[in-house]
Amino acid sequence: MNPPVGRPGNAELRVEELSVRFRLGARGRAGTVHAVTGADFALRPGRLLALVGESGCGKSVLAAAITGLLPANAEVAGRVLLRADGRDLDLLAASERVLCDQVRGRRIGLVPQSAATHLTPVRRAGPQLVETVRRLRPQAPDPEAVVAELAQRVGLPAEMLRRYPYELSGGTAQRVGVAAALAGRPPVLLADEPTAGLDRPLVDRVVDLLAGMAADGHAVLLITHDLRAVRRVATDVAVMYASRLIETGPAEQVFSEPWHPYTRGLFGALPGRGFTAIPGHPPDLTAPAGASRGCGFDRRRPDLHTCRPNPRLVSRGERALACEPLPC
Amino acid sequence: MAELLADPTAGTRPVDGTRSPAPRWRPAARARAGTPRGRATGGRARARLLAGGGLLAALALAAVLVPWLGGLDPRAVDYGAIRLPPSPAHPFGTDAQGRDLLLRSFAGLRVSLLVAAVCAVVSTVLGAAVGAASGVLGGWPDRLLMRVVDTVNSVPHLLLGIVIVALYRGSVLAVIASIALTHWTGVARIVRSEVLSLRDRPFIDAAISGGASRGRVLRRHLLPAIVPQAALSTVLLLPHAVWHETALSFLGLGLPPHLASIGNILGEGRAAVLLGSWWIVAFPAVLLVAAALAVAGVAAWWRDRTLPRRRSELGL
Amino acid sequence: MLSAVGIVAGYRRGTPVLDGVDLAVEPGRVVGLAGPSGCGKSTLARVLSLLMAPWAGRVEIDGTPAGGARYRAPRAQRTAIGVVFQQPRLATDPRLTLGEIVAEPLLATGRGRDPAWEDELHDRVGLTRELLGRRPHEVSDGQLQRACLARALVLRPRYLVCDEMTAMLDASTTAALAGVVAEQARAGTGVLAVSHDEELLEVWADRVERPWAGSAA
Ligand SMILES: [Zn+2]
Repeated sequence: MNPPVGRPGNAELRVEELSVRFRLGARGRAGTVHAVTGADFALRPGRLLALVGESGCGKSVLAAAITGLLPANAEVAGRVLLRADGRDLDLLAASERVLCDQVRGRRIGLVPQSAATHLTPVRRAGPQLVETVRRLRPQAPDPEAVVAELAQRVGLPAEMLRRYPYELSGGTAQRVGVAAALAGRPPVLLADEPTAGLDRPLVDRVVDLLAGMAADGHAVLLITHDLRAVRRVATDVAVMYASRLIETGPAEQVFSEPWHPYTRGLFGALPGRGFTAIPGHPPDLTAPAGASRGCGFDRRRPDLHTCRPNPRLVSRGERALACEPLPC
Repeated sequence: MAELLADPTAGTRPVDGTRSPAPRWRPAARARAGTPRGRATGGRARARLLAGGGLLAALALAAVLVPWLGGLDPRAVDYGAIRLPPSPAHPFGTDAQGRDLLLRSFAGLRVSLLVAAVCAVVSTVLGAAVGAASGVLGGWPDRLLMRVVDTVNSVPHLLLGIVIVALYRGSVLAVIASIALTHWTGVARIVRSEVLSLRDRPFIDAAISGGASRGRVLRRHLLPAIVPQAALSTVLLLPHAVWHETALSFLGLGLPPHLASIGNILGEGRAAVLLGSWWIVAFPAVLLVAAALAVAGVAAWWRDRTLPRRRSELGL
Repeated sequence: MLSAVGIVAGYRRGTPVLDGVDLAVEPGRVVGLAGPSGCGKSTLARVLSLLMAPWAGRVEIDGTPAGGARYRAPRAQRTAIGVVFQQPRLATDPRLTLGEIVAEPLLATGRGRDPAWEDELHDRVGLTRELLGRRPHEVSDGQLQRACLARALVLRPRYLVCDEMTAMLDASTTAALAGVVAEQARAGTGVLAVSHDEELLEVWADRVERPWAGSAA
């Protein structure tokens, strides 16, 4: 099962001390937004890690940093190590050509937020998938057969492949998106809000599909604000607050007994668990993120939390917690 | 351990809650330096503004100052100095009548740019008005206006322009009208399609629900969105308008001779090129191209500024 | 009462999305509108917010039939119904700052800015001072949706239509904005809360309607 703390184990992707900031205005004169601060985690085959947090906490920036899709005014620090041919490839240092030719689609499959808008509207879904397979796996002798197999894996009926993207429902389009993400047989799958705007049964189908991919041995990162979907499929959870990971651990443990007061507050906002918003706002990430200022939750709930200087995840067993003493 | 956890290199770093030294920042864009998009940074936009704006200012200043400071009349004919190649006395050489081409080019640039700018602005405003009206009103006004556009487009521009100019020979206003009235249709089409694509967006719905009138929606939400497009059209029209004016001048229907434009100069110089006097055409043409590029540079910077969402996506 | 009577509406001739649907929203109540995707929830919300003309049937606002849809609806009727849309990013003009977005209806109706009222709304929806000067691309979906809710409330509408308002939001922002809307309802506003999320409507709405029995869907 899980290797003990401190051993890299068989991680497909390791994020180490990743920080991302945006300089606003010319030479950052209009301020600096610290979107990700010191993120540490790993993606392992067979596991589905869900990254959750309020909107604006930096989840999507983290995903963009991993895939090298940050805008030009971003700056990064730390490392994102991808296992490639037995070596570690630092994605933050890799050139766009390497990312394009070797990483995106081939080692990291991307499931987009709204697959329907990522497909060419003037071509049917099937031929687009065939073309994706041709590009990502030029050595495959029969791309049509590969697509048929992909469609079967994601539960796409063959007649859907003959439809144009606008004729597909949101859930079906998302399945085409997952099929396209799988086309290059990437060991890592990265899904950024793949269920936004879908209704519950469709959300369940899409995330079940991702869980199935994890069960097949993919390492999956699911970024979402939908906690119920997370609860349904995630094997592990990472909670992000104001650019930092503040709590991580196996999903059922974190859900049943959240340690950080922010995690408790976030789960307490679910309609079935109190429907109480966390008062106040996440701190403004434009402020200079001094490492000494803690996770920032004490400014929102001084009654529940006192920040400690230099917060970082401290682990116990399979779980880890930042800026709070570990419970006894 | 948790997938996430955290700490693959725990042996090298303290796990007691203290942090490793301050992060070493590097631009994420460096990883993308191989693509043109990756280079579209703020510094580049500023360089484009400085280069474009500087060049434009220099040209405009020269267009005003050179004929004035030169002390010589750009129209002064000197048959003792016909078709002289560039020299210290005449840096751009002289033309077939012995007129100094440096003076003449800058004087011509002034006239050309003024006429072309007026033409471009008039046709852009006209086109934007027609396109916006067409897109906002829809229905029969839209069909009628688009029929007018088709009609204007179906006649060769130059021919239509000649008819207008021929009615009012030798008038600057007629030259402007003949160019402006034939070149608004492209802008009208662009603006109409832009308005059509914006008209049903949710933020227009929100404005309607907030009590905005048709005029308010047009002024506040639609026109600001099409300004960059329209400005780009103006820029693209500038060199084209100069060409039209040249063609009209060549046919003897253009600006009156005392208002020598670059168009007139190029038209007159065309024959001289065959005699080997390349400079008569080359220097005025280079000036014209430089002016057009400078305008384009400034326009691109301005477009980037007003369209922050597209900042890194477009390169002119 | 904001009511829809016998609404038939759709986008393609011959295939109505709604086929004779009735719905009523009373002042002071949060009425949930539930149903699977594609059943016409959003179409009904658009018809009720006077943004789409029904093929047949009528919308009544406090007993007065609506005078049309979109620009044809009298301004007083349009502004009596505030609307919050699903995707805040599409529902805001990218050129305006958040402060301008909230104040826009005041200017559009010629009432002029009202700093005290605007500030009260900013506080209510949770828009901090420094966010007001930013443009939509500089804030998160949640922050932008807060501005959209403030914009919908700035003209003090008698009814509020929330069309999948929380679909793009995280749990905490959802709870916060649903709380603001519920508070608004307690103060007398009639709210139509459209959502595919039955669990959410159960705790948010006073009652949940599924008027699709007579519909094509
Ligand atoms: Zn803290």
